[in-house]
Amino acid sequence: MSAGTVTSTRRGLDAAQRRAIRARKLRRVSVYGLAILISLWILLPIWLIGTMAFSTRADVRSYPKHVAPVPFSTETMEFFLDTEGILTATQNSIVVAVFTLTLSTAIAAPTGYAISRYLFAGRDAFRLGILAVRAFPIVILAVPLAEQFRDWNMFDKVYSLALMHTALTLPTTILVIASVFASVPVELEEAAKVFGCGPVAAFRRVVLPLALPGIAAAAIFTFVMSWNEVFAAILLTLDNRTLPARILYTLDKSGDPFKFAGGFFMLVPSLIFIFFVRRYLFNMWGQITK
Amino acid sequence: MAEIRIENAVKTFGKVTAVDNVSLTVHDQEFVVLLGPSGCGKTTLLRAVAGLGLVDSGRVMIGNRDVTYLPPKDRGISMVFQSYAIFPHMKVFDNIAFGLKMQRMPKPQMIARVQQAAELLHIENFLDRYPSQMSGGQRQRVAVARAIAVQAEVLLMDEPLSNLDALLRLEMRAELKRLLAELKVTTIYVTHDQIEALSMGDRIAVMRDGKILQCDSPSTVYDTPTDRFVGGFIGTPPMNFLQGQVRRENGAARVFIGDFGLIPVPEMLDTLLTRDGEVVVVGIRAENMEALNQPAEDALQVRVLVVEPLGSQNLLTIQIGSDIIKVSTHPDFRVAPDKDIWIRFPSDKIRWIDRDSGKTLLPAVQIAASG
Amino acid sequence: MNLKKVNWAPYLLILPSFLYLMLFFGWPMIRSMELAFRRDSQILPLRTEPFPDSATVGKLERGAEVTILDVIKSEESSTGGLLSKKSFWLKISGIDVEGNEIEGWAERGPVFVRDASRSEEGRVVDSSVTVYAEPDETGASVGELPQGTEVTITDWDELEGGVVAGGLLAKPAQWFKITAETADGDTLEGWVKRGPVFVEDTRISTTGRVDKGEGAKEWTLDYIKRMVNDRRFTESLRTTVLLMVLILPVQFTLAIIMALVLQSRLKGNTIFLYIFSIPLGVSDLAAGLVWFSIFTQRGFLNSFLERLGLIDKPYIFISNENKQYIILAIVLAEVWRATSIVMVIVVSGLQAIPGELIEAGQLFGANLWQRLRHIILPLLMPSLQVALILRTILAFQVFAVVVAISGGEVVTVLANETYRWYEVGTYNNPNVAAAYAGFIMLISLGVAVFYLRAVRTQEERATQK
Repeated sequence: MSAGTVTSTRRGLDAAQRRAIRARKLRRVSVYGLAILISLWILLPIWLIGTMAFSTRADVRSYPKHVAPVPFSTETMEFFLDTEGILTATQNSIVVAVFTLTLSTAIAAPTGYAISRYLFAGRDAFRLGILAVRAFPIVILAVPLAEQFRDWNMFDKVYSLALMHTALTLPTTILVIASVFASVPVELEEAAKVFGCGPVAAFRRVVLPLALPGIAAAAIFTFVMSWNEVFAAILLTLDNRTLPARILYTLDKSGDPFKFAGGFFMLVPSLIFIFFVRRYLFNMWGQITK
Repeated sequence: MAEIRIENAVKTFGKVTAVDNVSLTVHDQEFVVLLGPSGCGKTTLLRAVAGLGLVDSGRVMIGNRDVTYLPPKDRGISMVFQSYAIFPHMKVFDNIAFGLKMQRMPKPQMIARVQQAAELLHIENFLDRYPSQMSGGQRQRVAVARAIAVQAEVLLMDEPLSNLDALLRLEMRAELKRLLAELKVTTIYVTHDQIEALSMGDRIAVMRDGKILQCDSPSTVYDTPTDRFVGGFIGTPPMNFLQGQVRRENGAARVFIGDFGLIPVPEMLDTLLTRDGEVVVVGIRAENMEALNQPAEDALQVRVLVVEPLGSQNLLTIQIGSDIIKVSTHPDFRVAPDKDIWIRFPSDKIRWIDRDSGKTLLPAVQIAASG
Repeated sequence: MNLKKVNWAPYLLILPSFLYLMLFFGWPMIRSMELAFRRDSQILPLRTEPFPDSATVGKLERGAEVTILDVIKSEESSTGGLLSKKSFWLKISGIDVEGNEIEGWAERGPVFVRDASRSEEGRVVDSSVTVYAEPDETGASVGELPQGTEVTITDWDELEGGVVAGGLLAKPAQWFKITAETADGDTLEGWVKRGPVFVEDTRISTTGRVDKGEGAKEWTLDYIKRMVNDRRFTESLRTTVLLMVLILPVQFTLAIIMALVLQSRLKGNTIFLYIFSIPLGVSDLAAGLVWFSIFTQRGFLNSFLERLGLIDKPYIFISNENKQYIILAIVLAEVWRATSIVMVIVVSGLQAIPGELIEAGQLFGANLWQRLRHIILPLLMPSLQVALILRTILAFQVFAVVVAISGGEVVTVLANETYRWYEVGTYNNPNVAAAYAGFIMLISLGVAVFYLRAVRTQEERATQK
C-alpha cells in the first residue's frame, strides 16, 4: 500500500461521507446543547433563590432584581434563622428525620435481606403489597393518624411524626435495601459459610461490609424524604412544628426575605445529600420499577 | 460486487488500542472468519465495518465505496448479533420484516421476502409467534432470517452461535455454511471458537491484541501458522512447542532436543544455519508425531506421564526436558503411564519458530521473495 | 407422610415491617373510613323501664321535640357486680319515627333538655361542679357549687366544635349559664357544663329535644355530602385534574429526553447525572418557593421582562384575575421538581434494554425517531407505566407547591382542602377532612386500576392478534 492512498483517506471524502460526518457532529453538538440547556433549567432557579438568600433584605425587596448576590450579605439568611421558632423547627426536623432514618432502616434491613435472599411462600405477594403501599397516597393517612394520636395523647409530638414518617419511608427503604442486598452475590455468603462462618457471622463479616454503602445511601434518602415532608407534618403538629410545616404555616404572613431564605435553607441539605447518593439512585429506582 | 477493504484501521478506547493498524481485504462472496480470544479486537473491527463504532483512523471500503464515516444504514450491510437482538415486542414476521419496513418496501414484496427468508431458515410456521414463545435455536434462526431478508451484499456475524448449546451449535454451523454458500454474500464472521472458524471460513484471520497475525485458508492456518500464538490457539490439542538448540553438524544445521538431533527440511537449512548455537522453538502438532513401542534410530525416547483414551485416538502427555507435549496415537497403540516410548518427528511437519518474537522462521528463498 | 420443613427465618425477618405497615397503613385506613362515614347514632329508642335492656316502645328521631315527664337516678350493677354505674333516666313522651305518640324511658345523655322560655331551674347532681366565667374549661373559674344546690338557668350555649385547649380539642359540649346561691349566701353567676347539672322544673313539665341516638355509631353520608356541596370541592378537583393533565405529558417528554441525553454517554456524564438528579431531593415546598421568587410581582420574571424592555412596570402574575399564570407557575414548578423521578425510572428502564437491540434497529435502517418509536418506547413501556401510576397518584396529592405559589386561596387543590378542613384555624372538621382524604385515595385507586386494566387489555390484544 502506498502512502498516496493513506493521505487520500482524508482528502478524497465524497459528499455522502462528508454529510455523514457533519450529521454526526451536529448530533453530538445538539445532545451537548440539550444537556446544558436542561442543566440550566434545573440550576438557574436554584441560583436565583440562592442569590436572594445571600443579598441584603433591602436588595431582596428591590426591583428589578439582580441575578447575582452582589453585594454578598448574610443578612437575609440571618433574619430568617433568627425568626422565632425557626431554629426549634429546624431542630425538630432533624430529630424527626434522624429518628425516622434510624427506625426505618432498622425495620427495613431485615425485611430487605429476607426479600433478596429467601424464596418463601408469599414473597411475591408481600413485595407487591409493599409496592402498592409505596404508591399509596400519604395524605389519607395523615388525617386519621392525627385523630388517632389525639386519642392516644400522642398528638403534636416529635416522635409521633417520626413514627408517621417511618411508615411513609418504609416501603421505599425496604425495596432499596433489598436491591442493595441483591447486589451482593449469594456465592460470597455461601463461601463464608463453607469456610466456617455461621449465618450471623457470614452476614456480619461478608454481606454487611459490602452492603453498607448502599444501606447508608438508602438511609440518607430516607432522611431527605422525612426532611422534605410537609403535609403530614403540618397536620400532626401544632406547637412542635418541623421546618417545612413551620414555614408553610406562616407563609401568608411572611415577607419575601423570609420565604426566599427559607426556600433556600430547605434546599441545601438535599443538594448535598443527593450528591452523596447519586451513584445509588439508579440501583435504587431500578429495583423499584421491577 | 461487494469487496470489503479495511485499510490501516486504528481504534482506541482510552489507553487501550483495540484495533491496531489493521488492514484486511475480504473478496466478493468470500467468507472470512475473524478468530481470536476475547478482547483481541475482532468485534471492534466488525463494528467498524458495520458502522456501529467508527475507526479513529484508517478507512473502510465496501464495494469500492469509502464508507468509513457512513451510518450503518447507508453501507449496504446486514448483521446477525451475538445476543440475536430480536425485538421482543414484535412478532417473528415483524422482526424479519423490520429492515424492509425501514426501506419502505411495498407490502406484497415485503411479505414475499419475509416468507422466502423464513423458509430458508425453516421458521415459516412461526411467523405469528412472539420471540418469547420460541427456543434459543429458533430465535437464532429469526436473527439470521432478518439479516438475509434485506438481501444486503455484505453480511456481518458477531459470534452468532455462541449462545447455543453444543449440539445445536454443531447443527447450526453446517446449516449456516450451506446457507451462506447458497446466498453468495460477502461475509465477515467473528468467533472465538477455532473449530467454528476452521469448519466454516474460506479464510481465517487470527487476531491478537488488535492485530491480525495471520490470514489464510483454514488448512494453511492450521498446518503452517506464521506465529507461535496462532499454532497454540488453533487445534485441539494445540500445537506442541519444544526448546531446541541449533548446532552445525557436518556443515548442515541440526536442532538438538537434549542429545537428539532433529533434521530440518532442506529449504530451512540455510535459515537455521544463521542461528548456529541459538535456541529455537520447535512446533509440531500432536497428530504429526509417530509413536513407537520399540527404539528406533530416528526416534526420541520419552516417558509417558498421562494416557487419555479419547475414542478415536489416544492422547499421551509426555515430558521432554522442561517441556510438556501431547502426542496423539492410534487407539490401538498400547501404552501405560510411566512407560517409555519412542517418538519420531517427520521433518516436513516441524515448524521452526523464533524464541523471542514468536514468528515462524521462513525458508531463506521465501524471505528473499517476500522482502 | 410428607412433612416439608418450613423455613421460618424469612417470616421472622419481615415480621417487624409487616406489623408496622399494618399498624400505620391498615389501621388508619379503617379509622379514616370511620371518620368519613360513621357518626353517633341518630335514633333514640324509648324503653318500657329505666333499664338499658328493657323492651323498647318506639324510636325517636334526632331533633324530635319531647316532653319530659319524670326523672329518676338509677344505680345499676353490671353482671359481675364489680362495677356499678350511676345513670339518670328520663321519662319522655314524644312523636316516634312512625308518627305515633309514645311514652317511655331514655337515658339522660342523648336528650338535651331545655325550656322554651330559657329560664329553668336545675339541681347539681354531681358531688360538686365548677362554675366558669365563660363557657370554656380552660378559662377562669368563679366558684364551686356542692351537690344538691338549686340553680337557675338563664342561658345556654352549644359549642359544636369545641375549643383548642393546649392543642387538644374538647369534645362538643353544652353549657348552661346559671345563677345560684352559694352556701355563704352569695349569688354566683357563671357557666357550667351540662353534665353535672340536671335541669328539672318542678312547676311545669320540661320540654326537650333528642340530641343524638344511643349505642353504636351509624353510617352516614352527611360528611360526604358536605364535602361534595362545599363550594371549593368542584374547583379543587378541577384544578387538581387540570394540573395533572398539564404536567404529566410535559414531564414524561422531558424525562425521556433527559434519560436519552444521559444514555448517550457524553463526556461529563456524571456531572449531568448529578445535576439532573438534584430535584429528586427538593421538597415541594422549597420548589414552590423557588418558583414563587420567579413569578412574584417583584420577582425575577418581571425583572427579566423589564430588562428586555417587554414591559415597563411589573406585571402581577399571581392575582385573582390571573389564575392562568398561577397555574403556569405551578406547572413549571412541578415539572421542575418532579421530572427527575420519572427520569430515573426511565433511565433504569433504558439500561435494561440490551444495547444490541437498538444497534439492530440502527443497522436495519431505523433513524433516531424510528428507533425511539418502534424499539425504545415499546420496550420502555413497563417502566413508563410504573412512572405514570406513581406520578398520577402523586399528582392527586399536590399541595405545598400550590400553597407556596398561590397561598392556597385563589387556586386550590384537593390536598389543600383536606388540610383546610382539618386545620384548627379554619373548619376543624376531621370528618370532612377524612372524606376528602378518602376521595383522593379513591380516585388514585381508580386511576391505578384503570392504567393496569388498560395495560392488560393492550397486552391481551397483542397476544391474541
